[in-house]
Amino acid sequence: MKLQITLVTGMAALCLSVLSSTAAQADDGAPICGLNTGQAASGTPIKVGGINGNAPPGDFSGGTDGAAAYFDCVNANGGIHGRPIEYIVENDQWNPELAGQVATKLVKDENVVALVGNGSVVEMAVNASLYASEDVMVMASGCAISECYESSHIVSTNQGPLPSGIGALKFAIEELGTTHAACIGFNIPNNGGWACDWMNEYMASKGLQGTSILMDPTAVDLNSVYLQALAERVDTILLMLPAGPAIGLLKVAEEQGGRELFKWVSPTPLYEPGVGEVLGDYWSDNLYINIELNEFSSDGADNQNWIKVMDRFGKDGDRRDTFSQSGYVSAKFFVDALLKLDAENIDRPQVTQAIQNIVGVESDLLCDPYYVGEADRHMPNHAGRMVVFKNGDFELVRDCYDIDTNYLEPILAQETALGLN
Amino acid sequence: MLKVYGLFLVSGLAVGSLYALAGIGLVILRRSTGFLNFAYGALAAAAAMVAWQVADWGAWPPISWLSALATGIVLSVAYGRILAPALAWREPAVKAVATLGYMLVLLGLMGLLWDDALRKLSLPPDKIAVTLLGVRVTVTRMIALGVAIAAVIAMILYLDRSRMGLNMRALADDRDHAALLGIPIVRVETLAWGISGALAGGTGLLFGSLVRLEPTVITFMVIPATAAAIVGRLTSLPMTLLGGLLIGVIEAMLTLYKPLAPLRAMTPFVIAGLMILWMQRGTSLTFASKD
Repeated sequence: MKLQITLVTGMAALCLSVLSSTAAQADDGAPICGLNTGQAASGTPIKVGGINGNAPPGDFSGGTDGAAAYFDCVNANGGIHGRPIEYIVENDQWNPELAGQVATKLVKDENVVALVGNGSVVEMAVNASLYASEDVMVMASGCAISECYESSHIVSTNQGPLPSGIGALKFAIEELGTTHAACIGFNIPNNGGWACDWMNEYMASKGLQGTSILMDPTAVDLNSVYLQALAERVDTILLMLPAGPAIGLLKVAEEQGGRELFKWVSPTPLYEPGVGEVLGDYWSDNLYINIELNEFSSDGADNQNWIKVMDRFGKDGDRRDTFSQSGYVSAKFFVDALLKLDAENIDRPQVTQAIQNIVGVESDLLCDPYYVGEADRHMPNHAGRMVVFKNGDFELVRDCYDIDTNYLEPILAQETALGLN
Repeated sequence: MLKVYGLFLVSGLAVGSLYALAGIGLVILRRSTGFLNFAYGALAAAAAMVAWQVADWGAWPPISWLSALATGIVLSVAYGRILAPALAWREPAVKAVATLGYMLVLLGLMGLLWDDALRKLSLPPDKIAVTLLGVRVTVTRMIALGVAIAAVIAMILYLDRSRMGLNMRALADDRDHAALLGIPIVRVETLAWGISGALAGGTGLLFGSLVRLEPTVITFMVIPATAAAIVGRLTSLPMTLLGGLLIGVIEAMLTLYKPLAPLRAMTPFVIAGLMILWMQRGTSLTFASKD
């Protein structure tokens, strides 16, 4: 009996010691990356590419920022069984011609094994066929156009405007009593047109009305756009826009007392650090935003690790937005897939296969398990959360929930085939 | 329905007055120096960004407004004194294209100085409004229209009645003869670049508050402004004012006609094109030049 008590006491002490050691490790601010050996990798580099769009009218570099920081952390912690990742990032500057050039450089000249963290409105449309013909996978992080989700060799961790916008509408219908919503988006067929068409289809499927108000990206007269919504007699406005124009439209609406006239919802772009300072108090409790990943303040292990990775390995000026979270997760899943390979013989075909074999991996930054598989379209992330803008910050009002648009039918069938449903 | 039209009319007038104000700045410079300044929007954008920056540093608001005007003047005069003299005897097209280069330089500098973070430029009159035809019109919008009208009147009086105005008109008509007559070319041109720059600074400040504080958006405001100036045949200030207001109102009204609503951005080009055709009426195209 005495021996048993001693053993139990000893075990408890050991557990406490391990727990306190783990807690100490977690508290010391050191991020956990890859093999987490604490030893820098020094073998032959593995080339990985990344393309972002960073030029007016928007900066989509958060995905490659997050991925670069994570890869640096992995390289400082044993790399891929001793081999560091050489991450080559190119900027397409929102220029289709340049987007094609930099992709060709990475895929054909640099012979990268894959691309990770891509974020662009241009390059996916230009390069989807190149990626397929060269059998190179892209684990993107900042997609906003249809081609990004409807291509065999591109899979993005972020949702893009379609699921996030419809997620916001679902919340608006169920919680705010929306019956007629205006989708205000850019007049770009594979962006605003695509997302708003599916929004209208979603509203119709619920027996409700949806109206598209598409504007030229260069249009300056946002007041007319707002007035058009007024003329359409909608009760809800869905801001299917990047943060800058969305803020401009909200400013116009504030002038006109628009808070009382409409319910206001938005997909993820308005969930961005700095929005609180710009919006002010007027919109407090009156602006609902669907978020594609987790809250920036989440206590989840991956979110906290993302913060530590960015603090330790990020650069001054790196974006810390949803795209950055997305880039971190994409890079993490990519590294986990690479670590299963024989490090000395890593080549593109093996990496493509390893990425396509990713099924059911999880992160607290995502609501559902992530997967890739072999398919003509990929949209592993289609469940999100809803926050409300409140007192200059954001407050969670609905945790993870799925959307039910017909657009997802082939995606859900794919998930069933992979045993995820 | 009448009320809806009223809403769009008021809205269009506000944006149109900004186009007009910018167009007036373009015409004044064109009349005095022969330069069609495509960098005008970039000057306005830089002025708006500097005003925001100064306000962000916590300066007294009037200082930030003055900094916008000062930025417009400094950047405009810098071009007028340093680069423009070297192009004084070149063709109008060369002069115009050279200002495009300046626009790109300024855009690049703004990209370097200010990242793509969210920003807002607020003026005190943004918070004060009156209800007109059912739409709430902020005092800032009324100021934009008032400043545009006042600028036209003031510049007409200045150009027609002052000695310096006469010098400016003489310079625009014939630079060589003006020099022979003893007109102080450098002083007159510097003043013209300065007035145009001040108008650009003021336009940028109002635009940043009324529309959006984004350098690219403000920079490309030069397109409707140029269209407004073309309506004024690059010489007439009242017609430029009318052109700017017309573009703003038509752009707004097109919103009501769904098939054309997404194409509203074409409005300046269509109006400028129609105006050029109207000005060319009665002339026939030949292969022989007047020279």
